Order: sequence, then C-alpha cells, then structure tokens
Amino acid sequence: MLLPFVTALATGAIILWLSRRSAPHVYWLLAKHSLGDQTSLANTLAYTTPVLLTGLATAFAFRAGVFNIGVEGSLYLGAFAAAWVGFTYVHANGVILIVAGLVLAALAGAVCAAPAALLRTYLGVDEVVTTLMFNFIAIGITSYLVNGPYLAQGTANSMSPLVASQASLPRLAAPSQLTIGILIALAAAFLFWFVFARTTIGYELRMVGQNRRFAAASGIPIARVVVVAFLVSGILGGLAGGIQILGVNHRFVDHFSPGYGFTGIAVALLGRNTAIGCCLAAFFFGALENGGATVQLFTNIPIELINVLQGVVMIFAVVEIGRARRR
Amino acid sequence: MHEVNASLASAIELGTPLVLAAMGGLVNLRGGIVNIGLEGKMLTGAFVGVLVSWKVGDPWLATLCAGLAGALVAIPFTLVITRLRANEIIVGLGFNVLVAGLIGYLLPVAFGIYGSLNPEGLRGLPDLTIPLLDRVPILKALSGQTVLTYLALASIPATAWFLRRTTAGIRLRAAGEDADAARSAGIDPLAWRDLSTLIAGFFAGLAGAQLSIGIVNLFTVGMTAGRGYIALAAFYFGAARAWPTATAAFLFALVDAIQVRLPGNDLPPQVGDMLPYIAVVAALTVVAIGRRRRERLVEAT
Repeated sequence: MLLPFVTALATGAIILWLSRRSAPHVYWLLAKHSLGDQTSLANTLAYTTPVLLTGLATAFAFRAGVFNIGVEGSLYLGAFAAAWVGFTYVHANGVILIVAGLVLAALAGAVCAAPAALLRTYLGVDEVVTTLMFNFIAIGITSYLVNGPYLAQGTANSMSPLVASQASLPRLAAPSQLTIGILIALAAAFLFWFVFARTTIGYELRMVGQNRRFAAASGIPIARVVVVAFLVSGILGGLAGGIQILGVNHRFVDHFSPGYGFTGIAVALLGRNTAIGCCLAAFFFGALENGGATVQLFTNIPIELINVLQGVVMIFAVVEIGRARRR
Repeated sequence: MHEVNASLASAIELGTPLVLAAMGGLVNLRGGIVNIGLEGKMLTGAFVGVLVSWKVGDPWLATLCAGLAGALVAIPFTLVITRLRANEIIVGLGFNVLVAGLIGYLLPVAFGIYGSLNPEGLRGLPDLTIPLLDRVPILKALSGQTVLTYLALASIPATAWFLRRTTAGIRLRAAGEDADAARSAGIDPLAWRDLSTLIAGFFAGLAGAQLSIGIVNLFTVGMTAGRGYIALAAFYFGAARAWPTATAAFLFALVDAIQVRLPGNDLPPQVGDMLPYIAVVAALTVVAIGRRRRERLVEAT
C-alpha cells in the first residue's frame, strides 16, 4: 500500500518542483483544505462516498478473480435510475422515494454488469473488453435518455428535471455536502468485510479468485460464484451512482461522473481489495479531490494534478502486486 | 450526391485516426499486449503536434514529432508491463488518467490557458489533392485528405504484410503467442513485446496529429473523446487482422459522419456513438458461440 502512495506523492512533488511551485506548501494546503476544519473534513467524506462504493464494487469482483472494469457503467445506470424515481414520483413520501430510488439504482447497476457476467460464464468471453465496452454503452444509453425523453423542460441541454426535494438524502453536517450516503457506504464496507471473513459465499469467492481449478475440484460452483461477483459489483456501483444523485447532484446530468468508477479501480488497488484498505484509499482520494477543488480556487495549482497522482497510484499499485492475473 | 460525397470525405477524414491507432493496437495485441493506453498516446500526439507546429511552424515536422512523442511515452508504459510485470489493463487505464492529468496541468501552468490550445497562425497539415482521382465520382472523397490519410491507407497492407511475411513480424507474433516457445527459439519475447508497444505508440501519436493539426487546427484536452477505445473496439472487432480491423474503423467513422452530415435523420446521435462498443460485444459473442459449437463437435466425434 505504501509504494504507490509514496510514488504518487513523489511524482506530484517533482511536477510541482518542475513548474516552480513548492510541493510542501501545496501538500500542506491540500491537507488544510481537506482535513483542516469540520466543514472541510465533512466535505472530504462527501467526496469519499462515491469512490468508496465504486472501490468496494471493484474490489469485490477482483477478489473473485473477476476483472470487472465496468463499474463506471453501473454507476451511470444506477444514477439515472435513482434520478428517474426522484423526478417522476414527485408527490410520494420521501423515505419511500429514497429507498425505492436506491434499490432501483442497485438493480440498474446489476443489470449493467449482467451481460458481461453471462458472456463470461456461459461463453467464456473475457470480461476485460466487454466490461470496458459496457461503460460506454451505459453512458450512451443515459445520454440518450437525458437528451431525449427525459430532457428537462426549459433547461440547458442534457439535464433531467430536478428530483423531488423530499427525495434528497438527509444531510449530516450542513453546510457541507455530507449526507447519510457515507453511512450507507460504510455499512457496505462492513458487509464486504463480513462476507469475505465470515460467510461461505465469501470463502467460495476467495477460492475462485485464488485458484480456480482447485476451487472447481473442491466442488465450488464456479459459474454461480462468478455471476455473484459480477452482480454484487454491479449493485455496489449502481448504489454509488444513486447515492451521488440523491445526495449531491439532485438531477441526472449527461456525462456527470468525473470517473468515479475508474477512481474506484485505483481505490481497490491501493486498498489491496480489502474493506479497510478501500476505506483508507477512498478517504485519501476524497481528500485529494476536495482539497484539490478548494486549492484550485485560491492558488494557481490546476486540479488536474490530482489525476496525475491517481494515474501513478494505479500504475504502481499493479507493479507491486505483479502477476495478479493470468495472461 | 453532394451530401454522399461530403459524408464519404468526412468518414475518411474521421476514420484516419481510428485506422492508424487501430493498426498500432493490432500490432501490439499480436505482440502480446492489450493496449488500453492508446487514448493517452493519441492525446500526447495531438498535443505535441500542435505544440511543434506552433513553435517551429512546420506541420510535417510536427506530425513526425507527434508520432515520436507517442512512441516516447510508450517506453515507460511498456517497461512497466514487461519488466515490472504490471497488469497491462490497469497500467493502460492509469496511463490514460495520468496523461490527461499531466496535459491538463501543463496547459494553464506553461501557457496560461485552460482546456484548449488555439494559437494564432497555427499551421495545420495541408489537404493533398490527387490529380485525376479528384474527378472520379465517389472515389474523389479520397482526394483532398491529409498525408496521414494516405499513410493510414498504406498502413493496412503494410501491417498485414509485416506480420505475415517478414521475419520481424513472425518473431513479434511468436513473442505474443507463446513467450516460452519463442524463448526456446532464441527470440527475446519481452524485447519484441516492447517493440510492438513502441509501434503502437508511434501510430497512436500520428492518429493524434490527424485530430489536432489534420481535421481541425487546435488542441483541446478532451479532443480524443474515447477514440482510443473505439480503435480498441475496431481491432477486437476485426479479430486483430489488418483488413477487417480497418474496415471496422472506417465503418464506425462512416456512421459518425452520416450522423453529422445528415440532420433530420431519426436516429439519435447517441445510438451512433454506442455502435462501435455494441458491435465489438456482439462480435466477441458470435466468435465465442462459434468456438463453443466447434468444441461441441470435437467432443461429439
């Protein structure tokens, strides 16, 4: 966990130094604006929420040896589903809307992961390409929906109507963006740990991930376990999208995600596919994202630096693991 | 008729970067690496192309530099994969995030601008008119394109010939198909793998130049717009063979061009945008069904 982290910060420092900016100063500003006071910390947790869920989604699949890089797609379908519930049933009770919205978001996320799961299980189609492609297909579908049948009247392009105000997730620390979404994400992290540490399916998922032939020889139903890995991964991804819409955005906007699903891959890798690791890694990226957004406002440090750090984390996380996957 | 010609010309113009990048990705795949990082290499090429043409004033040199820049960034990319045994998919995704971040950071820091580089007097690649061809119906769409289009067209048979007929091509494929067997035949598989990535980087860099100083005359951070992934779709759709891959790439570009050129068609643009991705999933499915059927037949006999 340390190598990618240190390499990323070192790379960032070199880039800052080359562009004649003081790295310690910038890092101190980042820390101050992401952790310095209660509102900053709460906003960091708000930024942590979607990437914790996409990180868990990715890690869940990776643990079972399923290389799902399609969490971004699940996030988009989930986000749209939650928004649809919120702007369609505007007169319904808030609790019902929130529960229905998030359940539908989770289902939509699973639907996005299902084709790749079936293709992998029944036809042996490698999931790397299919899940990657389904990201773009899901983004395209939501783009069509929000520019066509669900385009909000009288707004600029590519936006759905606002979700009903009672469907917004309750805030935890106004004026920050933090909502109960973080509690759902943390509960998901706990369940993630519980499943892998304490349950039979968790054991089976791990076995399939570690050694498929041994797992098959021990009588583990590989096909079913692989499908479960895909679907749970999709559910978590969809939930991430739903929570982001009902908690922060309050409407579906075309191409709204800055890559939460891909950051999730970095989170899973940095967190070594464990629940606690994902929590720490997601908090790290949440802090960077929040701190970066604020620092860009006050200094002339472009927020793109954060993407550089994320890219380096991803690359060096796999350098460390080495041969994690066949081929 | 005018609309048809305009659509065809536009398809060829838009298909050029797809074909170039797809040929590179195809060679890389045959060499044993799935290159998800084409997007980042294209963006590098697009950026360097504008930069060199702006500072030096020579779009031809800029095009060459764009290709070389693509190959240059491919060096750490491939070494991390082949020597440090990092997963190529993750490295590819991370590389794309890294490059986009780096260029996005550099624009405001070095040039004081956000998002797009549009310097005054930037010289783009000239459109080359081919005598006689520009009078032939339909085929005249091929005239008046940039040098990169003709390079892309030439790269199709060249790639097929290189992989099939040359010693280097055969060694490269051997390295990709079975590293151990290649090693026992005295071939260093990792070196060939690296070479195939450099080729992919060079071609993707050229593809980027077509975007920035071929089609339009500026650079924007989002200008590759997923074309690296469409190129990936093309060479998967074409089963890593040159002609089917190029056909797929031009087909994707044609759909794109028709959508832009023919307003008032009922098809929402997003359907066209999704087409390459749906096509590749469908193609992989069909191939897998065929394979499954053959396996059944073998089992039955």
